[in-house]
Order: sequence, then C-alpha cells, then structure tokens
Amino acid sequence: MSEQELATNKHLNEITLLMYVERQLDRASAQEVSLHTQTCTRCMNLLRALDRESRLLTRAMLEQDEPLPARLANFQIMVRRSMNWVWGVIFGLAVMGVYALYTGYIEPMEHQFEQAGFGGANLLSLLLFQGAFWKGWQSMFTLFQAIALAVLLGLVVFAFRKYIKRGSALAMMFASLGLIGAFSSPVSATEFRKGDTVEVKKSETVEGDIFMSGQNLRVAGTVDGDVYAFGQQVDVSGHILGDLICFAQSARVSGQVDGNIRSFTNNITVSGEVERNVTAFGEVLNLDSNGKIGRSMTVFGQSIAVDGKVGHDFLGFFAQATISGMIGGSLVGKGESLSITGSAEIDGKTSFEGDKQPNVSSDAKLASPLEYKKMEHKSAERGLRYHIWSIIWGAAYILFGLVLFGVMPKFANEVVDAAENIGASFGLGVLVLPGVFIAAFISCILIVGMFVGISALLLWGIAMLSSEIVVGVLIGRWIMGRTGDFWPMIGRMAVGIILLTVVTHIPWIGPWARLAVFLWGMGAIALGLYRRLQPVLAPNIPSMPMGPMGTPLPPTTTVGAAS
Amino acid sequence: MSAPGQIEPTELIARARAGDTAAWGDLYKEYAPAIFRFCRRAMPTREDAEDATMEVFMKLRNKLSQYDQSRSFTAWLYKVAANHCWDMLRRRKIRQDREIGEIEDMPLEAPEPNQLEKLIEERSSEEVRKALEKLGVRARMALVMRYYSDMSYDEIADALGVRRAFVGVVLLRARHELRQALGDTPVLAVGGTR
Repeated sequence: MSEQELATNKHLNEITLLMYVERQLDRASAQEVSLHTQTCTRCMNLLRALDRESRLLTRAMLEQDEPLPARLANFQIMVRRSMNWVWGVIFGLAVMGVYALYTGYIEPMEHQFEQAGFGGANLLSLLLFQGAFWKGWQSMFTLFQAIALAVLLGLVVFAFRKYIKRGSALAMMFASLGLIGAFSSPVSATEFRKGDTVEVKKSETVEGDIFMSGQNLRVAGTVDGDVYAFGQQVDVSGHILGDLICFAQSARVSGQVDGNIRSFTNNITVSGEVERNVTAFGEVLNLDSNGKIGRSMTVFGQSIAVDGKVGHDFLGFFAQATISGMIGGSLVGKGESLSITGSAEIDGKTSFEGDKQPNVSSDAKLASPLEYKKMEHKSAERGLRYHIWSIIWGAAYILFGLVLFGVMPKFANEVVDAAENIGASFGLGVLVLPGVFIAAFISCILIVGMFVGISALLLWGIAMLSSEIVVGVLIGRWIMGRTGDFWPMIGRMAVGIILLTVVTHIPWIGPWARLAVFLWGMGAIALGLYRRLQPVLAPNIPSMPMGPMGTPLPPTTTVGAAS
Repeated sequence: MSAPGQIEPTELIARARAGDTAAWGDLYKEYAPAIFRFCRRAMPTREDAEDATMEVFMKLRNKLSQYDQSRSFTAWLYKVAANHCWDMLRRRKIRQDREIGEIEDMPLEAPEPNQLEKLIEERSSEEVRKALEKLGVRARMALVMRYYSDMSYDEIADALGVRRAFVGVVLLRARHELRQALGDTPVLAVGGTR
C-alpha cells in the first residue's frame, strides 16, 4: 500500500484490511491503516467485520462438535487395525500357497499313489493332508478354498475402501457372500440331538450329518452322513455312511463306518468295520480281533492293542503296543516297548524306535526283518562337545548381531523397538514365519521363478537368525536399561543372547522357548519393515519445529499492527 | 490437547521418544482428538479424517526422533498433520482446475461491511462448518491451517507450495468462497475496491 493510496479519500481494499487484522503488515503500513480507519467509517466497519469473521471461523473450527470415533479411541487398537492389511496379505499368501501346493503337487501325487494301490499312509500325508479331523482332507481342501475366497474378498474391500463408504463396503461384502452361498452346492441337512441318552434307533435312518451330545450316545441305526459325537460313552453298533468324529471318555465301534474315524477319547475299541482310516488320540486304543480297518491306522496313545486287521499302514506313537493282528502295509512305531505276537502278520516294512528291543515272536509273519533303533534321549547325552558348540553358536550370534547393528543401526534399533510391542510382533510372527516360507517355496517352483524364491528363502533364513538377536537385544535392554551408544548396545545384546541360549537349552522348555523367540523376533522384523515401508510424508515435512506456537487461538482477534 | 498457555507434556514426549510405548499411548490420547478435529475440518469425509489421523500418528511415531524439544510440540504436530492432509489431497488429484489458476488474476470485490456483519451475525458455528465442506480443498486447507492450528503465513506458504506473499490472497479468496457458500454473495459483493 502506497502513501499516495492512503492519502486519497478512497477506501482501503479488503486484502489490506485482512492483512492488518492478521497482523501481517509492517509497522509503517499498519500505522497508515490505523490512521485511515480512524477517519473512514466504512473501512473501520469492514475491519471490524473481518475481525468478527476471523473469530467466527476460529470458533467454528475449534468447537468440539463430535467425539473421537471409537476407531481412533485407543491407540493400541488403531495400531492393530492399521496392521490388518499386512496380516491379510500374509495370511492370503499363506492360504494361496497351501492351495497351490495342494492342487499343483499333493493332489496329483495322491491320485498317482491311489492308482498305484498305495494307501497314502506315509507320515506327511497322514499328519498333514489326511489328518483333518473333521472330514478328511477333502473337507480341509474345501475349507481352504472358502478361506482363500474370503481373504481375497477382504483384500478387494480393503483396496477400494477409500472409494466406497463403509456401509456400502459392508453391503457389497454381504452381497458377495450371498452370491457365493447361492452358487455353492447344496449341503445336506444336519440334525442336532442332545440329552442324557441320545440314540439313533436300530430301525431309524438319519439323512445327513448328525451332532450328538450327552452322557450316553448310541448309534444303532443308519446315518447317511457324518456323526459328531460329544459325550461320556459312545457306542456305534449301526451303520455310519460318513465319518465318525468322536470326543468321549469311552467309545466302542462294533458297527460299520464307511468313512474315517477321528477320535479323541480316553479309550476306544473298534470291533466293527471301518472302510477308510482311523486316527485316534487317547490312553487306551484297541482294535479288536473282529475289527477291521480298510486303510491306515494312526494312533497316539499310551497302550495300543491291534488284534484285528489294518488294510494298509500302521503308524503309532505309544508307551506300549501289542500287535497280534494283521497289517497290510508297513508298521512304523515309536515308543517305549513293542510286542509282536505269534499271530501277527505284517506285509510291509516294520520299524520301531524305542527304549527297549521289541519282543517279536518267532511265529510272527513279517515281510521283512524288523528294523530297530534305540531311542536317543538327547538331553542325557549332552556332553562337553555339545556345550562347547553351544558357546560357539552363541558367540557367532553376537558377532552376527554386531555386524547387523554396525551395518544398519537405525533399522536394527527400529526393529528392537517394534519387538517391545510384544502382542503385535508375536502375532505377526505366527503368520510371517510359515507364510513367507510357503510363499517363497511356491515362488521357487510355481509362480515367480527360482531366483525370487531362493532370494526370499535366503532372506527368510537371515531373518530367522536375526530374530534371536532382536529378542536378545530387547531382553538385554530390559535388564540393563536403554542406551543409544553402539558398544553398550552390543553389551546388552550379548547379555540377552547368553540368557536366551541358556533358556533355549533347558530340556522340554527349550524348544518351545526357541520357537517363541523365532516368532517374536520374526514378527518384530516384519513390523519394523512395515513401519519403514510406510509412505513418506510430503517433501516439506519439517525436520524440526518452525517456531513457537502453543496457542490454538489465533492472535487475530485484536485489531492492531504488527510490531 | 494442551490448552492455550498450558505447559506441554514434555516428559511424556521425552519418554515416547525414548520408545516407551505406554507414554506413546498417553501422548496419543492427549493429542488425537485435536488432530482428528484438524483432519475432520481439512478432509472431505469423516472416513478420510479417521484414516488421516491414524496415518499422521503412525508417521509421527517414526518422526518423533526428529522433533526438537526446545520448540513447541503442538505446532510441530499440526505442521505434520497439515502436510500429511495436503499431501493426501494432492495425491488424489481432487483439486479443481480453478484452484490451481493464477492467484494474481483473481478479481475480488470487497463486501459491503454491514452485509458482512449481518451474515456473521446470522450464521452459527455449525453452519460455518457445513459451508466449509463446500469449499475447494485448498481454500478449506488454508482456513483450517490459519484458524484452527494458527499456523503462520510462512508455514502455510510452505505447506501449500505458494509464495508467502500470496497466502493473504489465498485466505481472502477462501473467505469469499465461504461467504458464497453461506449464501449471500451477490449482496455482499457490492462494495467498492480501489
């Protein structure tokens, strides 16, 4: 604003008055405005109006018109939610990995095995792919398909969440689920029965699955589906066309089961016929002399007796086992003692790892000589050499940690900070540890290619090694206090790693502790990476405060010149 | 949020900087409502404001080590929030062409003082907030930075990427837009200019 401008009788323009209100004019100009407004009513009125407008704006802005949304109310929840997409992606990857692994390799292999006449009762397929305790692997496969679809749906909703309101996103999700449901194959009806004594009578036929719960559960009739039994006593003398899934104190199967038996019982006796597999967890497990299992038998128990016939393989983990019946495939056992009586017949390989040499009757018919391996109790055999190697490994870890902190101190510190968030780190670790491995494995053989897969596996391995260092540093920091200096940090790391080494070598507890450390550390590394990969702020983010400003209310409420 | 003139929770900030997660949680509880309100005023939708608030604090956690404790934390926090919100809006490219036009070319007619007084008299805070939502993002952002977080002209210029000399014009134009949104522009724009 020029002096000539002010000297005339014309009014001041609005921007000049606003700058005056905002205290943005220099002292001389401000004085001129002040002088002008003393004689010009219109400009004074406009000045006052602008000032009032400023007040109105400030008031409107600062008024607490709505509470903090529940979504933001708790920081911990917020962090967890912000991590949701990472979890979703990792979980999705893992699910898709398992899906691809199954459809690409396991399923064709299973078909080939079946065509070749094998029961598929090797440890891997029994435990991993046939061990689904609901309905065998096929049900598990369907479940995975459903989960994969749900995860994908969730990811799609997440990806478009910015463009659709939450209500519509929810509606879309439910509509999609509805569509999926509409196109799903119809499911047979499920019946629920509950009471002290629940029975499917001899003359009765149940169409579809049945859930039974109570003290005494009896299936004397026919069930054209699966039976889920939760009770004290379970007695199956009828005919089950599907699977029998049984949680009970005592169970007896004298009838016929066309599918599988999955049992969690204190004791179970099978004197009837099971067309497919039996997987049993319990204390006492008997296959009666009249009992017959079409395929394999997998048992985890204290006392096992096999007097009947197993079509294919037998796999058992037990304290004592007695085999008097016939096993069409191989026998693999691990436990304290094994007796094979004279009436026994084993058509495949027989191997036993245990404390005592198995007692094998000379009359027993074995297709091949029994292979016996004395069970090693590693903890008892740990000698000086073992401890020296433990010390060497501990020192190697410390050296590795020293290199890590030397090469990338900032990131290493961020990861250790992330490890302090125990819940998130541990949870993420549960997903990352197997998820990344499976994804990398799949990449190696299926999707991206060997290079990416091997690189990912290599990084995964390095992260596994680093996880102990991360947790070690954190523990050292908890004990000796926080420090920003390099060598004190290494000292804390050494203390932490030594402690971890001691804990992870305690019998029984050690392996679990090591697993926990892997999960925790791996999760912390993932969390640190996640935080680091957050999009960067605008280029003009301040590296330091720009000036003192502790008062939310602006000083524009008073008309006056800047000094 | 710390009230005007109150001492900022420096100990809390120091503990949060040192990695104390509990202190960080307390700091969040202290400042989250104010930052959410800031984002609510600046962003087009409530969901955007919620997302922006979360992202601001996630970034803040990483940037806290850069904070100079001899300065005002509140000011620094608002600066981070403003930059973040503006960055989000800019990335979305939802600014309209008219907003990136030449600021110098914008003719502005001064309002008639009495009409402006009347308008201010008649309008409630709530109506002003609703009118704010109708403004272009830069106009709204400028008003929020100035009248909510009390940022200086230099800081506003820095955040919006305009020369400091134009900040006043941006604010004035924003006020005009606001008055228009409040409903009486033709009547107001009758005053003379020089």
